[in-house]
Amino acid sequence: MHRFLRLPILLVGLFMAVSSYAANNSQPALTTEDSLGPQVQQPIEFPHNRHAGNHDASDPAKGGMEINCQYCHTYARRSAVAGIPPLQKCIGCHQSIESVRNKPRIVELFKYWDAKKAIPWKKVHDLPDFVRFNHERHIKRFIEQQDRPVQEACGYCHGDVKEMTVARRQKPLAMGWCASCHEKDHPVTAEGGAPIGNQAYWYSFQKPVAAQDAAAVIKARGPNDCWQCHK
Amino acid sequence: MIDSDSVKQLAGHPFDRRDFLKVLGWSGTAVALSGCGNTSIEDGRETVVSYVEASDYMVPGIGVYYNSTCAQCDAGCNINGRVREGRVLKLEGNPDSGINKGKLCGLGQAGVQHHYNPDRVREPLLRNGSKGEAITWDKAYALIAEKLAGVQGDEIAFLSGGMSGHLKVLLGNYLDSLGTRNHFVYEAIAPSVVRAANVKAYGVEMPRYRLDKAKVVLSFGADFLGAWVSPVHFSQQYAQFRKGVDGQRGVLIQVESKMTLTGANADRWLVVKPGTEGVLALGIINVLGTATGDVAELVKGYDPVRVSRETGVSVSHIEKVAALLRMRSPSLVLAGSAAEGYAHGSQNAAAINLLNQVLGNVGKTIEAPVSVPFPQMAPAKGNTAALKSLNDGLAAGKYKVVFNFAANPVFTAPGAMKFKDNFAKAGFKVAFAHYLDETALQADLVLPLDSALEDWGTQVPEYMTEGAQINIQQPLMERLHANTRGMGDIVLALLKQRKADEYKGFEDYYAYLRGAMLQNKGALGGGGVDDDTFWNETLTRGIVKLAGATGALTTHATAAGLVFPAHKEADEHYPLHLIPGVTASLRDGRHTNQPWLQESPDPLTTIVWDSWVEIHPKKATELGIVEGDIVEVTSRTGSVKAQVYLFPGIHPEAVSIPVGRGHDAMGRYAKGYGVNPFQIMDTVFEAATGELAMHETRVKISKTGQRVLVVKDEGAAGALQMGRKIASRVSTDQIDLSKEV
Repeated sequence: MHRFLRLPILLVGLFMAVSSYAANNSQPALTTEDSLGPQVQQPIEFPHNRHAGNHDASDPAKGGMEINCQYCHTYARRSAVAGIPPLQKCIGCHQSIESVRNKPRIVELFKYWDAKKAIPWKKVHDLPDFVRFNHERHIKRFIEQQDRPVQEACGYCHGDVKEMTVARRQKPLAMGWCASCHEKDHPVTAEGGAPIGNQAYWYSFQKPVAAQDAAAVIKARGPNDCWQCHK
Repeated sequence: MIDSDSVKQLAGHPFDRRDFLKVLGWSGTAVALSGCGNTSIEDGRETVVSYVEASDYMVPGIGVYYNSTCAQCDAGCNINGRVREGRVLKLEGNPDSGINKGKLCGLGQAGVQHHYNPDRVREPLLRNGSKGEAITWDKAYALIAEKLAGVQGDEIAFLSGGMSGHLKVLLGNYLDSLGTRNHFVYEAIAPSVVRAANVKAYGVEMPRYRLDKAKVVLSFGADFLGAWVSPVHFSQQYAQFRKGVDGQRGVLIQVESKMTLTGANADRWLVVKPGTEGVLALGIINVLGTATGDVAELVKGYDPVRVSRETGVSVSHIEKVAALLRMRSPSLVLAGSAAEGYAHGSQNAAAINLLNQVLGNVGKTIEAPVSVPFPQMAPAKGNTAALKSLNDGLAAGKYKVVFNFAANPVFTAPGAMKFKDNFAKAGFKVAFAHYLDETALQADLVLPLDSALEDWGTQVPEYMTEGAQINIQQPLMERLHANTRGMGDIVLALLKQRKADEYKGFEDYYAYLRGAMLQNKGALGGGGVDDDTFWNETLTRGIVKLAGATGALTTHATAAGLVFPAHKEADEHYPLHLIPGVTASLRDGRHTNQPWLQESPDPLTTIVWDSWVEIHPKKATELGIVEGDIVEVTSRTGSVKAQVYLFPGIHPEAVSIPVGRGHDAMGRYAKGYGVNPFQIMDTVFEAATGELAMHETRVKISKTGQRVLVVKDEGAAGALQMGRKIASRVSTDQIDLSKEV
């Protein structure tokens, strides 16, 4: 009996193969380097521009407050995953900012706080499970070692957040896009071989091994072994 | 879901490997196609839940580690659990532990599956006909108070598994408040007969065995690497023993009728006729020839020829074992569960212990145990003798209210006891349960318990190693289900019903535990430290190490009371011995609903997800049985049907079925897989202790005509290596061990 069941089972397998491929194709079209991710509806429209944007001397009420990304996103420098700032963080400041206390978004925020419920934010930057991206390593490299501005370093992947309200994906975050940076030779010293930023401290542990070019600039690549991300 | 039946059906029919691979190939292609590109990035679909309030040490993606105690068996290994984002993910051993020294066995690892098990009871359930109706805790407590009103103390019974620490003390107080002394402690698989024999031989129930100091270990059925007493600890000692003392690699000789994991690791495995372990021990004493006094008198009759005839071990083997023991000292002789499981189990154990005395091992490889300075916290132990006395009371309709905690007697009581029928005669039955197991299903009220990873507690292990210790059990994460409670909290709530004034100061069991520990801060090594520091340090370490008191051992060898029953003739109708196999992962079956344990292959047969009947190939040929035949194993009490596995490591006159499987309740991973040999066990009791003689059941075997493909990891050819060797080897009788190292 099982013998003539074979063909149906194979056909069911084939049907599932085709249909699962079709189902996946109904997802949003591939993004290019220039295109944006989907606009994501968040439970509270969080204004990144108001928090991180540039100060506007002519109208301080409209400009941003230039808050360092890491003030709220504290986990990014401590862990592989950035996480979402705890609600407590928002309340920590907002409980003493009376001027906006009755704005609809802040009222909504305090509703969650009073109920001690977490805000169900939607995930904007998602990587497949087989990719291990490490926030901590990137922050160590660019912010601590090379002393780059925080918004520039975060912006490599997250775009110009100070111009956004709720965050929206700006980059493809696909492997080719990651590799486009990791496979490039980057100067790790200034001309004459002087370390950039705070790297002198790090070089005391491990000097870059790459050769110097004509201008005595040492260039090196970011880690680009497969296993760096696919562990 | 594919259950065992359909696996067998698939396996037994021409849906062969090639077809299977074809299907697998197509579905694999499907996965590969759909997984391509970056379409699996799902922006804006998943919710990321952040903390409302976060402590400084909580960082997403970074693990926090807590020390606690393993509750999978009663060895009391100290564990260290990794917690991430408020979820416990992995358990390992606590390196500070004297018992497991940072290691943990497979059973312990599966502890997370006990915690996250989908079949846990989540609400208090009250019987309504054949259904359980969810009720509130208040109602449940009120109901217990109502049922206890006007009931005499001796009409109440409390059945529990082994327990120790503050919970034991608190429960004792509760039972006192009820005016009952009927606390029956029942562990289906516990070395009770050996404990009793040890008291006679050494003056203590469980001395400390030092495998690491021994040059020869002669083990009579003690599966110390698998399931005996404290296997993780013994495994580490065993590694030391193999490295050797004074450059002499330890030699392990295992004597048993059914090969255990330890037997498989032995240098020499000697098969004995079931039940004749003690006779062999006396035979070895006879050959040693160093015994004096009444011992010499006793063993005079046990000359090698007679012993060989009775035990089936050849004269030359007996002489070789004796020669090895004479040559290498100190040695260690162990009496295990295979030796004690007979009506004359005490005699077996006594003869084996006598061998230790004669060899002068007491004080060398057998040391006095340490005990905690709080005797009221010492473990309560018990075995089937306790269950029998409860069962007799139940049969007589003596009990109006019966409580059950951490035992599953409906599953583990020998079938001939008819425990299920007798249990039904109790007036009101309360079960404190993690799962709706066989016993909980018979109860009138089921109260859901916290898992061991959610609950507070203390535990005093029976077998302690370097010094005395009290193990701390603390929650590794918050409750998964809102309506489960810790056993300590339940007992405290019940106590408050009886003695409100005395216990009103304790808000919950945590407060009681903390209070009790702080009260004895000085004795627990926290003298001069403030309360909070002491408490936090204790929780951080997860162990309270104490100096403990060490007693002295009796070193006097005596043959008093050692009389073996006359040689029994074979049973005509039931010619085979039934040996219940105790496996390292399933034990008495309380954790069978953890799928990792079902899935991990039995170390000797590599069978998964099912029971089997081990039969010696010679016997099988005689009966015309091949591997995979479904046979009916019938005892005087009942019968079970299971697949045959041909196993050269069993005495031809015995068959073995592993215990732990064959649940007809408990949960999706346990129910309906395999058979339960407890069901067909006769009620033969050990003569001196009254414990169940687990190996005394006699059975017969008949073919049913069905045959299945045994689902196992090893090759279908019965592990034949097609003429190739894994490693070259020489049998031990061809080498002179003294020249080898």
